Amino acid sequence: MKRPLFRKVICLVLSVTLLMGALGFTTSAAQYKPDDTSSSLDEMKSLVNAESYAAYIAENGKLLRPGMTRIPVDIMTFTGNAQKASESAARTSYDKDKSKWENFGDNWENTLYLPATGSVTWHFNIPDGADSLYYISIEYFSCVTDESSISTIERKFRIDDTVPFSEASYISLSKTWRYAAHSTETSEAPGVADSYDVSYETREDGYFKIVTLVKDGKRTVTTYRIEQDINGNSMAPQSEQVADWQSYYVQDTTGYYHGYFQFYLLNGSHTLTLAAQREPVMIKSITLVPADSEEDTLDSYENVKKEYEANGYAPATGGKITTIQAEFPDMVSDSSVNASNDNTSAATFPVASKAQLYNVIGETSYNTVGQWAAYKFSVDKTGLYKLAMRYKQDALQGMYICRTLKLAGGDYGLPDGTATVPFAEAYNCQFNYSKEWQSTVVADGDGNEFEFYFEEGVEYTLVLECSLGTLKELIQRVENSLNIVNDCYLKILQLTGSEPDEYRDYKFDEIMPDVLYNLLVQAKELVAVKEEFVKLCKTDGSHIATLKTVAVLLDTMGSDYGDNIARNLSTMKSYLGTLGTWVNSSKQSSMMVDSISVIPADSDDSVIPKANAGFFQSLWFEIQSFFYSFVVDYDNMGLTTVPDPDTPNINVWLATGRDQSQIWRTMIDAQGGFTESTGVAVTLKLVTAGTLLPSILSGKGPDVYMGLGSADVINYAIRDAVVGISGNDPLLSDEDNAVFNTTYYTYKGENGDYENTTEYRGEAGLTYVSNHYDEAVEGNYVKAAMDTVQLLGVTYGIPQEMGFSMMFYRMDILANLGAEVPETWDELLALLPVLQSNNMNIGINYTLALEFMIYQAGGNMWKYPDNPQYAGSKIDLDSDIAIASFERVCSWYTDYSFPVTYDAANRFRTGEMPIVVGDYSSLYNQLTVYATEIQGMWEFSSLPGTVREDGTYDYSSIANITASVMLHGCENTLAAWQYMQWQTSAEVEADYGNKMVALIGPSAKYNAANINAIKNLSWTASERAAIEDQITHMASIVNYPGSYIIGRYMKFAFLAVVNDSAVPADSMNGYIDAINAEITRKRSEFNLPTLKSDEEPPKTQDENN
Amino acid sequence: MSKVNAEAKRPVARSEMSKLAWTWKEMKRNKVAYFMLAPFFLLFIIFTILPVILSMFLSLTDFNMLQMPNMVWFDNFTRLFLEDEIFLIACKNTLIFAAITGPVSYMLSLLIAWFINELPPKIRSVVTLIFYAPSISGQVYLIWKTLFSSDAYGWVNATMMKLGLISSPILWFEDADYVMPLCIVVALWTSLGTAFLSFIAGFQTIDRSLYEAAAVDGIKNRWQELWYITLPTMKPQLMFGAVLSITSSFGFGAIVTALCGFPSVDYAAHTIMHHLDDYGGSRYEVGYASAIAVVLFVIMFSCNIIIKKALAKVGT
Repeated sequence: MKRPLFRKVICLVLSVTLLMGALGFTTSAAQYKPDDTSSSLDEMKSLVNAESYAAYIAENGKLLRPGMTRIPVDIMTFTGNAQKASESAARTSYDKDKSKWENFGDNWENTLYLPATGSVTWHFNIPDGADSLYYISIEYFSCVTDESSISTIERKFRIDDTVPFSEASYISLSKTWRYAAHSTETSEAPGVADSYDVSYETREDGYFKIVTLVKDGKRTVTTYRIEQDINGNSMAPQSEQVADWQSYYVQDTTGYYHGYFQFYLLNGSHTLTLAAQREPVMIKSITLVPADSEEDTLDSYENVKKEYEANGYAPATGGKITTIQAEFPDMVSDSSVNASNDNTSAATFPVASKAQLYNVIGETSYNTVGQWAAYKFSVDKTGLYKLAMRYKQDALQGMYICRTLKLAGGDYGLPDGTATVPFAEAYNCQFNYSKEWQSTVVADGDGNEFEFYFEEGVEYTLVLECSLGTLKELIQRVENSLNIVNDCYLKILQLTGSEPDEYRDYKFDEIMPDVLYNLLVQAKELVAVKEEFVKLCKTDGSHIATLKTVAVLLDTMGSDYGDNIARNLSTMKSYLGTLGTWVNSSKQSSMMVDSISVIPADSDDSVIPKANAGFFQSLWFEIQSFFYSFVVDYDNMGLTTVPDPDTPNINVWLATGRDQSQIWRTMIDAQGGFTESTGVAVTLKLVTAGTLLPSILSGKGPDVYMGLGSADVINYAIRDAVVGISGNDPLLSDEDNAVFNTTYYTYKGENGDYENTTEYRGEAGLTYVSNHYDEAVEGNYVKAAMDTVQLLGVTYGIPQEMGFSMMFYRMDILANLGAEVPETWDELLALLPVLQSNNMNIGINYTLALEFMIYQAGGNMWKYPDNPQYAGSKIDLDSDIAIASFERVCSWYTDYSFPVTYDAANRFRTGEMPIVVGDYSSLYNQLTVYATEIQGMWEFSSLPGTVREDGTYDYSSIANITASVMLHGCENTLAAWQYMQWQTSAEVEADYGNKMVALIGPSAKYNAANINAIKNLSWTASERAAIEDQITHMASIVNYPGSYIIGRYMKFAFLAVVNDSAVPADSMNGYIDAINAEITRKRSEFNLPTLKSDEEPPKTQDENN
Repeated sequence: MSKVNAEAKRPVARSEMSKLAWTWKEMKRNKVAYFMLAPFFLLFIIFTILPVILSMFLSLTDFNMLQMPNMVWFDNFTRLFLEDEIFLIACKNTLIFAAITGPVSYMLSLLIAWFINELPPKIRSVVTLIFYAPSISGQVYLIWKTLFSSDAYGWVNATMMKLGLISSPILWFEDADYVMPLCIVVALWTSLGTAFLSFIAGFQTIDRSLYEAAAVDGIKNRWQELWYITLPTMKPQLMFGAVLSITSSFGFGAIVTALCGFPSVDYAAHTIMHHLDDYGGSRYEVGYASAIAVVLFVIMFSCNIIIKKALAKVGT
């Protein structure tokens, strides 16, 4: 009898333990990181499961009650972290620089400041009987404060704490930008009638737009200039943010819906929440506008035309033809909507065969739905006008693109000056495909040329906004198909794996009849869409034909599933990629615009600008261009003044791209830039990587080199080529070392001369402060970053870029699987069976994993890391911790079958790898450009961590550093040192990163090493939080002579385990001697102390005491 | 005419002058030829002869690209032959490469050229292009990287998994067992280069009448024709082709790096060229790298002499 009882007790104890263990495990998910930055499962689910606006409006669209009134939300009563404007950071910036606040008015008391982080919630009430459809309008002011950068203002949008529909999960309030004025002159002009006149001129010193405005008896002449470098090439004009009040209606950003979103609100109390993603903003009102009010109801063009007749409007015969140069917009929606150069036609204005003048706008920088450019003009005779454009639209063969045309001024637009669409067809101004330049009158797809009524002397604003126009339904249908087919693919994949057996009968018809059905339906759908495209575009270009190809495949797979699904699965995968790319490229409405002309409605085509130059003109232009191409001086690209040989001058090299180098050039030369602050001229040269070494050898090297990899920094330093900047370089004279140990104040005298002095003489005339070394790096860099550029206690460079791995995950897939984002490797491995049973996997690069796992486990690559003499003399890969980590990583690839080689971006996109570890900025950039169809479906967070034996939790990532270095032979140490500090300072680095994004777009995120710069780069709040979270746990592999050998042998050891099933510990231990031998040999080359294999370093003084 | 003049006009006999003086005189006589030769000659000296001499000198130093070199005399060479195990692996790999790809590609070029030569002219030019294409189209060998990708989606891996031959992907270019054979195959595939073209040209230049004469003299079959007429007639092209194949098989490296990364796993396809790159590039030991280069130079040079001797026997 005893035995069963005993058994029962044991069973009870065991089951309780198990239960506790299970409980402990489930609660542990949140334990490791108290302020977790990754999304929780609930958040992911709510985002993924929200319905689309089309479904929302189909359900609620008929619930409109006519005749409702506007309902203002009391914005000053809120919960969350907003502040009253008068008590916020905005007030401080206002006091500092009032010039950016001229249109703000005196709104301090009834305006709310929403900072760039946190969230704000308002309560509002819908009275009884007022349940209806509403637009939501927000009046906002895009302020410039310390918190703000160039990005668009972005907020998570929630009503009653839920996402009303997926398209409204985020809202973005655009900022507007304009070119900074070059000069403004005001003079009295009594008695002159109001007018607005624009002219363009190319002069010696740039390309000018001259605006003459006469208003209320005053004449204002404003000039705008696109500057030129000394070779006559245009340089990117400086944009400035326009600070002004704007009204925003919650609306679509995908391009699939015209007009504003309608929200169905029931009686009773509701909440509205705005959670910050990017940028601070100030708001003065939120209003619910009844959806039948006039803001969004549009006449058709036919009715508008009848109205013209009824009003007796006649064509403005004999009116002046105004030609607007498109490269000079008055306002743009994005700082990246910029002028650019096109030299393919001699008929473009302005054009030069020996230089690149900015003469067009568009192509890549002005092609995303919602981006716009605005132009002001006026006419000299009242009447009907047409608009003509000279443009080149050759992006997608056979496809046309659309622009939405909006107008403001006179009878057009809202009372507050916001431009609106004059009639429904203006959403669909159509521009057809051609390889040549075209010049046509703005019209819709049926060739109806639009006429507009303009009054004499009134200032009009014309806005051209990228839109999908008449293509929007079709593209949306393809995108829907894509999503459905993608689901089908994943379902098939879960059954068969990525390499299905052709000879096996998977019984698709029994297991997943819905998938087969969907394949057939989508095949039909794609064919139908294709037919409609052909009808609309009137041609059957290669771009459209893609749809047919995909449809044929889907059809065969759906109908002959027994034979064809298994055989064609990999083709299907690549076609899905193609279809994704197809949707991306179709949504980009790229075209280059040279000019827009306003012409009287009855004039014929002869008055509009010629599309193409004549044969001989073109020929002569090409010949000239050809010969000029031999004499262009590429070294001085972007240089605006010929440097004066007397001023101090330093040589700076960088080996990046031309865009990057131009940005640095403008930043150095800008007002308040480096040269103006210090009086030191900079010769900036773009070189190819690998030029540095021979140049040092021949003594023609630069003074400063930007972006040298940390391994090379140490390689060059130990061979005496790089200057130590920590003030203790044994090779430098005391005098030179002192430069780094002293604080210098640069004063600009009245005669324009600069003086560097060690004595502080007050703020007057102080233009630059050169800190001593400790202050320059203090608090700006993580220790791991500094470690990589130090050798024997001397620092040889200032970190510039810092790359490190983070974990990217697909929220939709994890949410569907019901999986939390793993925080430890154990959680990750626990998740693996779920993933792998669905034929999914995890992507981690083994070379990275081998390194960071050692540091996460508390190990180090080197023995004796704290001994200054002997650190780096022996490898620590044979320690217990390192061997255990090595075994662990190997087991991932052998026991858990992580793939060794894979295309991360591609598999992440298809969903086969919902979790991928990769470099945070480069993978982010890649996914942003390459996988737009999963935009918003993924996030990144810090790496999973290791729980060490002592219970501590570590999720370190390895820092990869490039640095800015000074080279021996530099004659003006102080100037070079000033430059290095300036260039790596938080403000300049952030400015550079933001300029990159402004110029190239959101896929040009910069991985600044300066941790204070990261705050001001254009990451969203959650992205920034994740990055900053990872930065708290950074490690690095310190560079010592012989470092190169480690990675090589670790790889060999790892591959031996994976390929030949070697025992991990033996495999690694087998290379230890070879590694140590090479390190010892290399150290003796530089007369550094070495150790024999069984030798320990001698005890230091401290240890003896 | 005076006697003195007559004396001057008399042709100078070779025996009357020293060798140097004679050469100088001949050079003066042919100064136009030398003048025309000068541009190439100068470039050749500056860019070929000088670097070779310089690298011989550097091999005696510890030059590191950045600092002034010190003389270490023959230390580099003793280290190379006595201490450097990887150099021995590299030598072994290079010799395997050279022994297989050199002669095989040479024979292959010759045979294919011979076959192609038999084709009608129009077809001949098309077929020539097909064979020659891999070597002119630069980095087209990267197609092998796609074929033998280590990814489960790589063509060969995918096919083999589909056929059930393997269950997990093979890391082709990262597995010491496969690296060398694969690289040799790729090398052969790209090797039908300039040598092949020169052979085709050589076949075209042969005087038809020689064959007719041979037929009269009693040649029995095409093999004899090839051996006694064709090959001896195109000896210069054969020489040219041989030098090219040998040099390229010893200098083989870039393709391996592109396919297997650098260094290849466990040095399985590490050639002398890689070893040279390793020291010259990643370790900044240019002196040592020069020593390697000198060794390679000597090997290539002696191979060329041997080939010359071997080719002299063609047709005998």
